Amino acid sequence: MKLQMKLLKLRRTFNEGFTNFRRNGWLSFATVIILSISLYIISFTAILAVATSIILTNIQDKINISVYFKQDVGEERILEIKDKLIGFQEIKSIEYVSKEQALEQFRKFGDNSPSISQALDEIGDNPLLAALVIKAESPDQYDLISKSIAESSYSEEIDKIDFYENKEAIERLNSIMGLIKKIGLALGAIFVFIGILITFNAIRLTMYAQRQEFEIMRLVGASNRYIRAPFIFEGIFYGIFSAVVVMVGLYFTSMFLAPLTEESISGGNLATFYLKNSLIIFGSLIFSGILLGTVSAMIAIRKYLKI
Amino acid sequence: MIRFENVSKIYPGDFMALEGINLKIEKGEFVSIIGHSGSGKSTLLKLIYAEEQPTEGHVYFNDRPIDSIKRRLLPFFRRNIGTVFQDFKLLPQKTAYENVAYALEVCDETKEDIAEQVPEILDIVGLGDKMEKYPHQLSGGEKQKVCLARAFVRRPLVLIADEPTGNLDPSATLEIVELLLKINTMDTTVVLASHNKSIVDKVNKRVVELENGKIIRDSMIGKYNV
Repeated sequence: MKLQMKLLKLRRTFNEGFTNFRRNGWLSFATVIILSISLYIISFTAILAVATSIILTNIQDKINISVYFKQDVGEERILEIKDKLIGFQEIKSIEYVSKEQALEQFRKFGDNSPSISQALDEIGDNPLLAALVIKAESPDQYDLISKSIAESSYSEEIDKIDFYENKEAIERLNSIMGLIKKIGLALGAIFVFIGILITFNAIRLTMYAQRQEFEIMRLVGASNRYIRAPFIFEGIFYGIFSAVVVMVGLYFTSMFLAPLTEESISGGNLATFYLKNSLIIFGSLIFSGILLGTVSAMIAIRKYLKI
Repeated sequence: MIRFENVSKIYPGDFMALEGINLKIEKGEFVSIIGHSGSGKSTLLKLIYAEEQPTEGHVYFNDRPIDSIKRRLLPFFRRNIGTVFQDFKLLPQKTAYENVAYALEVCDETKEDIAEQVPEILDIVGLGDKMEKYPHQLSGGEKQKVCLARAFVRRPLVLIADEPTGNLDPSATLEIVELLLKINTMDTTVVLASHNKSIVDKVNKRVVELENGKIIRDSMIGKYNV
């Protein structure tokens, strides 16, 4: 019986909230739009940040150090060195490229230019060197890795380390990444703050318009909880509707930006990234929408329903 | 049933609204409170439905001091009291039916009971055909009838009417007074505040007159002027 009573109350206040939402018409529309704009800005910043970091990780993946060994160093010795190096925690992966593989790659690369393969045939012997291709855990560790290899006991057997050629590019990428992270974080924080302020204000305005009704409801004998519940439901509706609006908005944005980001994210562009993660995005949008709506409603009620 | 014992009310700014009020209202009575604007009529009523608390003395409702009720529990206490005001205080987003139903919904009445009682009460006040209208679609007299229906639908022990005809034309005023008298015959105590001579004369029951926050007359059967 008690549970039934609670369910009845819940259903009534839910309906009440929904009716408020529907009949408020213009005010509800305006609140949803404002909430949508702030959610849109926040989530767009977040998606951009995630996408940027994916793109940067992809670029990072393409950076490596190649350690070329002298002609007279045998395969066994190189593999021995490889085993030694793999123990370092800064090193993510090491790939052995033999002379023959290098030649094959070189021929493939020079497919369109018969003169290169002709020249190679002319030489007869394989002029290329065997190498270890090393990838680091993070780009700022390449310097350290190449230095320690250059100063190691087997440095005599090394012909050259071609990290220095990439050094400038790697360092630039590092500083750009740091900057993007900082800017993204600052912008994100600012927009989250603005979004919360705007939403609070919108819902507080709704409440302000209805403050006299609180008094009437109390006079008619409604308990505070009964008065409060519909407004919280109303806040939840604002959140859900805004989440849907933002979902649609983000879809078109990502479609619009898709050509710019073609192939920069593994397996597609911004649009495919968005679609692939749409469930997670929608979930967090609904969650933050409901959170924003509910918190704003509760603060506003506290102000106008003196308990 | 309602008892004022030595009640004074001082509003912030040292405005003495009521001073040394002693008043007893029995069950089933119809009491008209009269007096000029600012004489303390509204304050007296507010003390009954606990919108204000006395600065001195106590107001008792069925022998229980009202100021001892916790603020959180006031809504439950108010379910014993129906209220009607000059400015109606209807919920603008709700139809006449929903306004009356709301008073029952907050008391956890079932949907079936509500569907039965609301049309019945609206019929009694003569609005059976306007149940789906919103307040802004109703005339002043009709709005006040919705208020009366809302106040009475729970069969409260007391009905408090604060200047209920202040915004109404003479014929609507007459209808409201007749409804108040009808409600009174159904065993509900009615406390009416008004400065309208004709309606107090028409009621022709107990009259309490206030002046500057003090009771200056209490006659069991009275007219506005002696």
